[in-house]
Amino acid sequence: MKHKLLLMMLALVVSSSFAQAQSVSGTVKDAETSEPLPGASIQIKGTSRGATADLNGEFKLSANSGDVLVFSFIGYADKEISYNGQTNITVSLDLDISQLSEVVVVGYGTSTKKELTGATAKVNAQEIEERNVPRVDQALQGAVAGVNISTNSGAPGGSANINIRGISTNGDSGPLVIVDGIIYDSEGLNALNPADIESVNVLKDGTAGIYGVRAANGVIIIETKKGKKNTKPRLSLSGYYGVQRTAKTLDLLNATEYAVLKNEAFAANNQTVPFNNTNLGEGTDWQDKVFNDAPIQNYNISVSGGTEKTTYNIGGSYFGQEGIVGGDKALFERYNARVNFVTEILPKLKLTNVLLYTNEYSKSLPQGSIGSVLYNAANAYPTEPIKTDGRFSYLLNVSDVINPFAQIENTYNDSYVNKLVGKQELEYEISDHFTANARVGYNYAVVDYKEFGPLAWYGAGKAQNTAANADLDPTTVQIGDEVGGVTLERGARVTESKSSYLDYLVEGFLNYKKTFGSNHTVKSTAGFSFNEVSGSQVSGTGYGVPNNDVAFADLSLVTGIGNGYLNNTNSFQYLDRLNSIFLRGEYDYEKKYLFSGLIRRDGSTKFGSNNRFGYFGSLSAAWVISDEDFFDIEAIDFAKLRVSQGWTGNDQIQPYAYRASLNGEGQYVFDDVIVSGVALGRVPNPNLAWESTLQTNIGLDLTLFKNFDLATNYFIKTTTGLLFAPPQSATVGTGGAGTEPSFKNAGEVVNKGFELDLDYAFKPSKDFSFSVNYNFTYLQNEVTKVPGGVDFVPGTGFSVGGNVVTRLEQGFPIGYFIGYETDGIWQTAEEIASSPISQPGAQPGDFKYVDQNGDNEISFGDNSDRTMIGSPIPDFTMGLNVNANYKGIDLTANVTAVVGNEIIRNYERQQPYANQLAYNLNRWTGPGSTNEYPRLTTGLTTNTNFSDFYVEDGSYVRVRNIQIGYNFPQSIAEKMGMTKFRVYIGSVNPFTFTRYMGYDPDVGSSDPLSNGVDLGRYPQAKSLMGGFNIQF
Amino acid sequence: MKFYNKILMFFVAVLGLSFLNACDDRLEVDPLYTIDGDSFFNTPSDYDRALTGAYDLLQTSYLNMWIGEIASDNAIAGGESVTDTPGLHEIEAMTHNGVNNELRSVFSFNYAGVVRTNYLFSNKDKLDFEGKDEIYAQAHFLRAYYYFQLVKYFGDVPLILDRLISEEESTSLERTPASQVYEQIEIDLKAASAGLDWTNSVKGRVTKGAALGLLGRVYLYQDKFDDAAIVLDSVIDMGPYSLINSTTSEEYADLFSVNQEGNSESVFEIQYSGQEGGSYGCLVCLEGFAAVGFQGIRQYTGPEYGDGNSYNLPTQDLYDAFDPSDIRRDGTVLDIDAFIAEQDNPGDISYAIGGGGHTGFYNNKYIKRLDELGLPDNDLTSPVNYRLLRLPDIYLMAAEAHNRKSAPNDVKALEYLNDVRARVSMLDLSLSGQALTEAIWQERRYEMSGEGFRFWDLVRTGRAASEIEGFVEGKNELFPIPQIEIDLAGGNWSQNPNYN
Repeated sequence: MKHKLLLMMLALVVSSSFAQAQSVSGTVKDAETSEPLPGASIQIKGTSRGATADLNGEFKLSANSGDVLVFSFIGYADKEISYNGQTNITVSLDLDISQLSEVVVVGYGTSTKKELTGATAKVNAQEIEERNVPRVDQALQGAVAGVNISTNSGAPGGSANINIRGISTNGDSGPLVIVDGIIYDSEGLNALNPADIESVNVLKDGTAGIYGVRAANGVIIIETKKGKKNTKPRLSLSGYYGVQRTAKTLDLLNATEYAVLKNEAFAANNQTVPFNNTNLGEGTDWQDKVFNDAPIQNYNISVSGGTEKTTYNIGGSYFGQEGIVGGDKALFERYNARVNFVTEILPKLKLTNVLLYTNEYSKSLPQGSIGSVLYNAANAYPTEPIKTDGRFSYLLNVSDVINPFAQIENTYNDSYVNKLVGKQELEYEISDHFTANARVGYNYAVVDYKEFGPLAWYGAGKAQNTAANADLDPTTVQIGDEVGGVTLERGARVTESKSSYLDYLVEGFLNYKKTFGSNHTVKSTAGFSFNEVSGSQVSGTGYGVPNNDVAFADLSLVTGIGNGYLNNTNSFQYLDRLNSIFLRGEYDYEKKYLFSGLIRRDGSTKFGSNNRFGYFGSLSAAWVISDEDFFDIEAIDFAKLRVSQGWTGNDQIQPYAYRASLNGEGQYVFDDVIVSGVALGRVPNPNLAWESTLQTNIGLDLTLFKNFDLATNYFIKTTTGLLFAPPQSATVGTGGAGTEPSFKNAGEVVNKGFELDLDYAFKPSKDFSFSVNYNFTYLQNEVTKVPGGVDFVPGTGFSVGGNVVTRLEQGFPIGYFIGYETDGIWQTAEEIASSPISQPGAQPGDFKYVDQNGDNEISFGDNSDRTMIGSPIPDFTMGLNVNANYKGIDLTANVTAVVGNEIIRNYERQQPYANQLAYNLNRWTGPGSTNEYPRLTTGLTTNTNFSDFYVEDGSYVRVRNIQIGYNFPQSIAEKMGMTKFRVYIGSVNPFTFTRYMGYDPDVGSSDPLSNGVDLGRYPQAKSLMGGFNIQF
Repeated sequence: MKFYNKILMFFVAVLGLSFLNACDDRLEVDPLYTIDGDSFFNTPSDYDRALTGAYDLLQTSYLNMWIGEIASDNAIAGGESVTDTPGLHEIEAMTHNGVNNELRSVFSFNYAGVVRTNYLFSNKDKLDFEGKDEIYAQAHFLRAYYYFQLVKYFGDVPLILDRLISEEESTSLERTPASQVYEQIEIDLKAASAGLDWTNSVKGRVTKGAALGLLGRVYLYQDKFDDAAIVLDSVIDMGPYSLINSTTSEEYADLFSVNQEGNSESVFEIQYSGQEGGSYGCLVCLEGFAAVGFQGIRQYTGPEYGDGNSYNLPTQDLYDAFDPSDIRRDGTVLDIDAFIAEQDNPGDISYAIGGGGHTGFYNNKYIKRLDELGLPDNDLTSPVNYRLLRLPDIYLMAAEAHNRKSAPNDVKALEYLNDVRARVSMLDLSLSGQALTEAIWQERRYEMSGEGFRFWDLVRTGRAASEIEGFVEGKNELFPIPQIEIDLAGGNWSQNPNYN
């Protein structure tokens, strides 16, 4: 064998050195349109020799008789032609519908769909661009199986959570995001213009292990648009303008209904009824007034092209979005400038330059929590006008709820982000088989933030007041004791901060590829990576802004009342490093049996020397069954079975968590003065290590009837050693002030699931084409272990000061809901008295709770009768993406569905005078009136205990996007000097089908234990937009 | 492949590997601008600051105050309702078990104190400097104090010395027999007394008297009367202390005021300040004495006192135990209705009765007074110091030691007893043997009530079952180890006898 290999190598060398080469020229064309294909590549099989087609699709190269020429172009099927001395070859390439030759970006290299052994998914530029969303992660919603996107906030600049194959940790469960080889954090995705993206590749299984300790939650690899060789400069313009509107408002009581229900509730508690006249009409619709129509717009310009040695893609863009709540008090604007420049600076030495500059400006309103604008609007009562006596009304009957309009007016904040992301990469073709890459990527951002807190008066007794009275006199504070101290006025406040973040990445790797004989192909990648992440912030708060006016809100102007006693400054800084080496080897026999193995060693400063270095890796294999001789099922054109297993890690915890910090509180009184000493802060854990995920994937890829692609995967993903800081034995010292339990590796979560991706493309004629993608994900999540000595990890509370209702607990999905199960309503006192189960405090009209532990008593003091009543994790998610073209008209639609999750309705304030949702009209009013909704009372009831009544089905189907476009015929476009002119109208989120009562059923959270808890979520807007795409 | 390519590749490989090696070194990153536990103890002041951190946990003594009284026949839990600090209500009723927040606090606060002293001991050899011995002598005292609390409440507890244990190790610790813990406490206190002077210019520091006084108490709790007598005699004979006479109950109560802090009877006080506010959510963070505000009169408006949360209310039994002529009765117990009636304008004075119980009495030694308010927050942060060791206590302990030691010296015992009585104008007694013992115990109740010692005195003298309703012999001498701590320590400890 060895000799044979040597012989073959020798033969190759000999043949390339001595054979008489002849000159060949030709043209590469599209088989259907006969248009030339500039940039198509022509290669002599088994060598690196080749050429690229020029602007006219023409090429020239020298070849020997017997050589096989391989013609390829992105989006087209490869074609091989044997060279027998022809001088001119015209080759027509067919569009590749089956996508098997589609290039897929994997870590530190590329592969083709056919060759892949791991579970990956790809989304292309067009699919992303047509979604018209501000952030690329939003464009992934429903795009591929196994990737679930949930929304944190629909506000401008609001972020989304990306979960690949389930939530596997209570810590950071977001994937690693890499853009052009540069590591982005998920917040950084705001800086990226979706229109600049060429492709998004998602590594879902253990083969993501090439990214080692960062890869446990999957990897998303984004490539931005590059130019093409030998193409004329092409100027592209695109843009859209749209109007956004809330997709839904809550169904709240109007003034008359409100008065009637409140009278009833007060009377039930033997209180004087508040309204003598309940005929109050509609009253104030707070919500209706709080929501407004708001613009959204995006404009892009780019020039791309290339010569024989250089390609470029240069562009700029503007994106602007105002909020559907608060208008210009909640906005997000982004300016982008981008240069992608690739050139051969020496023969075989290629330099890639990527530079992206982003300027972001945003303003935000309080959202997504108790006290947010929408929360206030939902709880403000309809019998009060928005303004009385020329000022905002006080809503004095509800404590803590303030006039949302006064709140919007008094909110001032500005955030500016200036960011430069870049990469310089050198690629050197050492020989036919070796390529070396060296690259530096960096990500530098400066964030300036300013917030003005004016003196504000929301009405007597409101906790949000910052002024002492309606005249906006400052409040006073006592500093020090009565004798030696001073009384100070606390004026209007300004807070400023300046933060800078610098990440950089230095990487080098060597790729090797060689085919031995005609059947054995060996590929290998070896390299290193060094990543440093650092950040720092300086911030300051000053009181006494002159004139209580935002125009004077600057730290340089604050009066610093009382020698600046109240003012304060702060700073922090951090630094993390990750040092890695990796090695990957691939082998295939006839592209029929494919094997891949990889190993990566990571050293992370997140961990102490005991566990600083970790080894990760995977093994995977694939078998292209359809290439077997025995395979003769006609309907199946392609069939591949994939198996992979791999170890990956997650190191996303705060820096230095393994060390003993001294930030505990150690104060004592000596000589009657408080003396600050030091005390241990977080308990150290030198053995702290990364979370590890072992994932097994089995997949089957099929192509049926030439144009029907099917990819399925089944996976089991076990994450062990979850990073968290559960309660610990007092003997380690956690009882002291500021001394926190150490972070440790404890707990285990298993995600199991099934994924299906179906692609169907159909092109019966030149005028008509149709494609559809359907994806389906079934997921099962279970916590299989919690830290020793801990029964569960508590999550979020219900209502104000209520019980903790979400948990991480063994045997349940992560963040499941625990509470009482209801079994209808007690109708009569006799029913309560004769029931074998005693429920303390029960009255007719109250919920009948289920006795879970069978002791015939409902206990409200402990957990014995509480049970699982919901989970925020959907059973399955689906996406449907349709694209059709007929002549010049095109249609795109994207639909997503989320099924089987629950949401906690947690935005109802339980206050006597707070407004209520209209379902309360169905309340229990007497025996037989309803068995679903409890009675209303202002008195104490057990009905406010967290039960399944407050849990709703969160399933929904949402049409994410519809777009209808028209391409002007070539003749008309050309008259205007254009090569392409398309206009379209579209709508984002036009329809949502759900039974959920709240604003938006898409209630995500980056904290798995707050997932599905709706505190009055800022809803995603629906919008109507018109746009254009022009190419010159 | 051409030759120069091979050389190039070789260089690339060498460069790559050396870069990698350099990079591994770069993983040694120290946190920026952070005081870090691993890189501390570089200057003498570092040691002093760590010592201050170790003192901090003394300030959790509000729990001594409550549990020592409420568990005994002296007081009830009180408060707003029976679910207001339920742990104390359970202790009052002697129904407490392994799930009790207050007992968990005792366990975790005192271990935090132990860990903070061990942090000092584990770095003892890092630096030598003048004054180091004094710092470590104080640390010995503190460790002994914290362990004494633990062994007193829970019996056998893991004895960890001179090192910090990891979380991992904490799950496999064994409970150390109480006798060994006591042995270590004695060693620590002897080391403390050897390294300290009788006085310290800084108010609040541990002195030789504090160490010896606590050692005397530790001996007494183990019935080591011979040793106790010697040690306590030395405090009385050599210490810079003297008894203070009081002629009225006001004068007697004033001994517990801010004004009288550090008076000649004061052997050791836990120091508090009213300068910093606090929150109910973190009582361990307080710099003021939480017990005082909590023990204040509920919704009181009137002269002299401030309003509070009606915790730890003295019982009729305690009030009736006193000789009516003893000024210490009204000095110790405030009969609120009688007090109001005595005022010029009783109609203008009001207070509320809490749902957690009412006896008509308040703790007059530690109670919120209008002239002793904490400034930013007077509910939680009283500036009043907690008197951990007072000279009359030393006298009474010495009396008991002499009376009960192997060769009793009742003359000396009686002399000490009568000294304590004489300072509050009580007649001399003339007793010996068991009668004297009983008299000394009674005197302890008169002198020490309301300060958190009663329960322990009853337990150590075997009288708890007869004096405390619900007290079960063979069970309630110790408190149960908090169940969660058993679980967190790996679940291997057995609970204290007769707690399920």
